[in-house]
Amino acid sequence: MALTLLILFPFLGGVFALLAGKAEATAARIAAAVFLICGLLTLAWVVQHGDSGRWIMQSRHAWAPALGVNIILAIDGLSFILVALSLALGLLTVVLSWNSTDRAPLLHAALCWTVAASNGVFLSFDLVVFVFFWEMMLIPAFLLIAIWGHANREAAAMKFLIFNAIAGLGLLAAVFWIGATGPTLSFDAFEVAKRDIPVAAQIWLLLGFALAFMVKLPAPPFHAWLPDAHTEAPTVGSILLAGLLLKTGAYGLFRFPAMLFPEGMHVLAPWGMALGAFGTIYGALVACGQTDAKRLVAYTSVAHMSVVLMGICGGVHFSLMGAGIVMVAHAFSASALFLLIGAIHDRVHTRDLRELGGLQRSAPRFAAAFALFFAATLAMPGTANFLGEALVITGLFQVNWVYASITLVSLVISVVYGTRLFQRIVFGTARKTPVSLDLSFRELGPVIALAIGTLLFGLLPQFLMFGLDTAVNSAVDSLNAAAP
Amino acid sequence: MFGIVWTTDLLLLTIPSIALTGFMLLGLDPLRLRAFEIRVLAILGGVGPLIPMLVFATECFHGSCIGAVPIFTLVVGESTVALALQLDPLSALVGLTVSIIGAAVILYSVAYMAGTALGDLRRFFALMHLFLAAMLTMVLAGDSIVLFLGWEMMGLCSYLLIAYNTTSAQAIRAGRKAFIMTRFADAMLLAALLLLFLEANSVRLDALIPAGVAAQDGMRPIIAALLLGGAIGKSAQLPLHTWLPSAMAGPTPVSALLHSATMVAAGAVLLIRFAPILAAEPLLQALTAILGAATALFGAASALVQQDVKRLLAYSSISQIGTMMLSIGVGAPQAAAAHFVVHAIFKSLLFLAAGDIAHHSPQGTALAALRGARQRKPLAFLAFLAGAASLAGLPVITAGWWSKEAMLAAVWSAGPILWVVALATAVLTAAYATRAALVAAQPAPAAEAAQDDSSDTGYTLFPLAFLGFGALLAGGLVNPIIRFLGGDMPHAPAFTLAVAAIAPIAGAVLALALAPGAADTPMPAARTGGRRASVVDRVLRVLVIQPFVRLVRWVNGQDGGVEDPVGTGPARLVVWLRRTLAGPTAPDRADRLYKRAFVLPFLQLVRRLNGYGSGVVDPLGNLPARAVLRLQRALADALAPDWIDRWWRRIGAALLSIWTSARRLQTGRVRDHGLAMVAGTAGLLLLAWGYSWH
Repeated sequence: MALTLLILFPFLGGVFALLAGKAEATAARIAAAVFLICGLLTLAWVVQHGDSGRWIMQSRHAWAPALGVNIILAIDGLSFILVALSLALGLLTVVLSWNSTDRAPLLHAALCWTVAASNGVFLSFDLVVFVFFWEMMLIPAFLLIAIWGHANREAAAMKFLIFNAIAGLGLLAAVFWIGATGPTLSFDAFEVAKRDIPVAAQIWLLLGFALAFMVKLPAPPFHAWLPDAHTEAPTVGSILLAGLLLKTGAYGLFRFPAMLFPEGMHVLAPWGMALGAFGTIYGALVACGQTDAKRLVAYTSVAHMSVVLMGICGGVHFSLMGAGIVMVAHAFSASALFLLIGAIHDRVHTRDLRELGGLQRSAPRFAAAFALFFAATLAMPGTANFLGEALVITGLFQVNWVYASITLVSLVISVVYGTRLFQRIVFGTARKTPVSLDLSFRELGPVIALAIGTLLFGLLPQFLMFGLDTAVNSAVDSLNAAAP
Repeated sequence: MFGIVWTTDLLLLTIPSIALTGFMLLGLDPLRLRAFEIRVLAILGGVGPLIPMLVFATECFHGSCIGAVPIFTLVVGESTVALALQLDPLSALVGLTVSIIGAAVILYSVAYMAGTALGDLRRFFALMHLFLAAMLTMVLAGDSIVLFLGWEMMGLCSYLLIAYNTTSAQAIRAGRKAFIMTRFADAMLLAALLLLFLEANSVRLDALIPAGVAAQDGMRPIIAALLLGGAIGKSAQLPLHTWLPSAMAGPTPVSALLHSATMVAAGAVLLIRFAPILAAEPLLQALTAILGAATALFGAASALVQQDVKRLLAYSSISQIGTMMLSIGVGAPQAAAAHFVVHAIFKSLLFLAAGDIAHHSPQGTALAALRGARQRKPLAFLAFLAGAASLAGLPVITAGWWSKEAMLAAVWSAGPILWVVALATAVLTAAYATRAALVAAQPAPAAEAAQDDSSDTGYTLFPLAFLGFGALLAGGLVNPIIRFLGGDMPHAPAFTLAVAAIAPIAGAVLALALAPGAADTPMPAARTGGRRASVVDRVLRVLVIQPFVRLVRWVNGQDGGVEDPVGTGPARLVVWLRRTLAGPTAPDRADRLYKRAFVLPFLQLVRRLNGYGSGVVDPLGNLPARAVLRLQRALADALAPDWIDRWWRRIGAALLSIWTSARRLQTGRVRDHGLAMVAGTAGLLLLAWGYSWH
């Protein structure tokens, strides 16, 4: 029941925000925040009362037994970290949009529903229910871009929807195939994992799953929706896109291929690594030439998430652990960069790097915060980003030194785009005078929270590693057992 | 979870933490500091680390180094990652040097940066503190993660400090260049450390180094090469040296801290630390020696032709660290460590003294700005002389001589060729050091003599005096340092010692002979006819310069055509040196080569990927969308207008034609309507008549 509440609380938060917002806008914000906090409290309760084994908690409710569909929820360290991340980012975006006046109740509802759907993704182990949440996630995200976005919002929202909806078809087809070909009509992932699926079938099924996950990740050449969506989305939308939606793709890749199709993974993992290696260089190179600050950060996301892809496909303990840490670290650093760039956009109404500059003098607090997350994007030691990337590289050295070297090269290129972003905004003379100078307290709170996360997990990664350990171990064991 | 056990050894943490606290208080400014408080805090954070460092180092010098101090332990799979600091002889020595130089530079900066805007002052000292903390962390690191943390933070701080003047495009460019180039080196070091971690299954340095030495399957040469690559990039050695001369765009105290004891010297410290791995690979050790020797000679020759005092000192740093690399490469890392200490002292002294003399000078940091130092700033002038003497390595009375002697003796044992190169470096070093000193000794032109100058305060005098005495007297420490690090004083035949002692004097004489006409000519220009040459001068010309110029001319294939080969010889020599070593314009040849080989192709690639020129932005990302669009267009062409729709359209067309023909009846004329009415009535009557027949 507690696990259901983790999905239900944010969902109800959205419903109540919408209902309460009709009467009073403040009530909508409070409803959203309260329900998200209830979600976080539930999560704390789950850990208090959970097991210390492979799964912290599992639950199973019949839904449509005749169709073989049941609500199977389970939480382990990986899911726990991601659910905590999604609830926390949801709360953060609600705080950030606290004073928004444009259809605020609907905005808060959309934020809550994004959180609810992604929590569903992180917790579901019945494949049909998983697909349900996977597709449901698109709707509030689509609304966020299409309603509250910038000038080209409709086109960007459509692009986002089309890319992801088409990719979702691969997942849907694979899931139905699994259900239809099993000994009994069942979509239970735990039961599917025990099946002996022929390798050829595994490869096709894995391709179907991977299509959905890679588009969401995004891995080139399926990344084109991301720069547009990030650029056009409002700040809170960009934060949820970078912090949550991309992570659902990474989570899917992390969880299901090794669990359900380990033999297929052995065949396809080298291709995945090659794609990731290509993507990390490609994303970094394209980022170097951007003039729109948000677009630049979007392309760095492509580069960093490609590192995650490499880590997952590396399939060894270090690389998987590193991939998990990069996921969390990137959620913090990319969210923070979007927040800060959004703050600039609110004040000077441009994100064009050629027109910005001089915030060193006009906004020192902003400059300090920007410097920290600039360092995180470069994977400076001391930030969680470094730890994750270093672990991925270590793992890749065990698998294939070429990919490890390519990742190191991308670390060098990261300085080129990082300094471009940083010095064009912070250094130089101000070309546009900001209206109100420095970060407000409402922005400072989330920035400090994200900074603490980045540094805490960078310097004391034990919390994160402890959580990821079981999921990493079971993935490695499953892959090793299937090794040819 | 972390297993922190409290011991007094954990106080080792205070050394970097004090500077780090200074960074936090100044950087985040929770207390809303005023100028005076900023200064106090700057001094506390800058000098503070020296106190625990002194205590620990003294203990260590007395033979009880505390060794590794574990801080906490992480478990990654089957590996244990134990983060630790350590205090062994090397870290005690280097740590003490760094904290002394750091304290001196920060004390000096308090006066140097007076009059800066409040926010900039805070930023300056915050970054200096962070930088100091990073270097101390790197030096005291007991494991590879902490080592890399310090190493990499230095790169970030150097970027922010070189670009301290954020309104100067040149400074920003220089900072970015330094960051990117050193990051390239950092990536190599990271690879080396991760490979060592995989070999040792531990990150502790005392486990990593033996594991690296014992590494099999061809891993050891790779690791050693990567370590060397990392050190070369950070230490601005050939061929990755081009960032350092540009980095002089930063304020002078920044140069004094970054380019004497920290940052550039960090590469040498790294190699001294990992010397056992290098020693196990003779080929790479030889490569280190050769690169070091080449860099030393190149740097000294380039320093000779600089017109900017900071660029001169930058090339000098490149050259001096080259000699350290040479010493490491011939298997004498202890001598290199001794020279590290001595070099840190005299190089920071030179930067600080030159900065003090040329501060607020209308000529900026041009060499000419040093003129008149004797009158304007006598103490800074003396300090500069002491530093230059130590850099030149004047025998016995300067510290530089002692450490150079030790290194030269070690190089002798590795073969005469490297020794000759090292000797030539010593001659050139003495020549450029003397040249700089001679410029400083010149009286200022009358126009500049009256310029206003702030008088020296204790903040500048104390560091200058302290470092000045150090530059002269620290020579007595060279032998103890080498012993302390577990090495032997290298021995070499007496004649080599004698030759090595003559080398700096020869260099000084050479510089005198080349006559510092005006500092703003590229070098000691050809002498003009007016002055009468002394006897020594003439003897030198005949014996030394003339044969050398002949050789040069022969090498260049030039003969004849010049009226006064002897007179113009030195100038030609310089022009030749410049052309070959430093390129025709100030940025040296390698710099331009890199721009053409790496920077421009990179920019081109980025431009192309971003659609400059072709108009296609992010070609790959648009591939799926374009494919879909093309498919849609193809389908549309085949099907449009669609089959069913075609039938509907036909019906529509038929209706339309009926309507248009029917419309013709509607003429609106009365007679037509009348006719139609008559016709219709007639027709109806006919019809009725016809029916009536039934």
